Amino acid sequence: MIIREILALIAFLVGTFFGLFGMIGLFRFRDPYSRLHAGSLCGTTAVFSYLIALLLLAPSAAIGARVFIILVFFLISAPTGSSIVAKFIWESEDATTQRSSMKREDKSL
Amino acid sequence: MNSRRVWAILRFVLTTLFLYFVWVLFTSDLGLFSLLFGLAASLLTASLTYHIFLPEHEANLRFFIPHLWALLRFLFLMVLSLYQSSFHVVKAIITGNTNPRIVHFRTHLRSDLARTVLADAITFTPGTMTLDLNDDHLTVHWLLCTTTHTKAAGEAVKTKLEHALGRTWL
Repeated sequence: MIIREILALIAFLVGTFFGLFGMIGLFRFRDPYSRLHAGSLCGTTAVFSYLIALLLLAPSAAIGARVFIILVFFLISAPTGSSIVAKFIWESEDATTQRSSMKREDKSL
Repeated sequence: MNSRRVWAILRFVLTTLFLYFVWVLFTSDLGLFSLLFGLAASLLTASLTYHIFLPEHEANLRFFIPHLWALLRFLFLMVLSLYQSSFHVVKAIITGNTNPRIVHFRTHLRSDLARTVLADAITFTPGTMTLDLNDDHLTVHWLLCTTTHTKAAGEAVKTKLEHALGRTWL
């Protein structure tokens, strides 16, 4: 019982770590794609770790199955969502100017 | 009974089975009323939506029924690369060394489902994100780019995933 709680605690800490750095990256990067990278990828990992921790702490198999379904749906929906946002940046007017400025100041984020 | 009709009935049955499976998993109640009501609801929903859930042109069972062992291996690979790529991005956030580029390449996976899963999975590999999926043409934004050559970029980004997916779906 106690091992389960320790593993869940580790998963919570890992999730918090990635969530925190994802948030920092969201403000640190300058072009929209890199911001989306930081926000969506680190956010996905953070929520994934939290759900793993919840799965470890589930009191019964029925609740565990539900958490597992949420986890699978999340793994499908999170990259799809960020991909749709990226597609709209790619197609929008703004992105063309962003792309040319990205080429100029390549090394400075 | 022509082959079109057989295929429609098969798709209807598969949709019903999938919906019923999810119903039983969600309710986790094996009472008679729950089971019968779930079956009726699954049949109704499947009769309305089977042609959207499994489009007619996906004319092979292997297009959407995964090879179970390969699917589990793929999921394991995915979770591993999710953490790996997050770590890479965190490193890029701390040091600030990024080289963002947009690369294009093609995939040889054939079913819609496998292509969609590939596009989603590319988001999970280190520093890449799918911008657009057009038939078999992928547009990918690569944060930690090493090459812009189409073939080399395709090799670096998708080869491993494509092999794993090719074993799971067709």
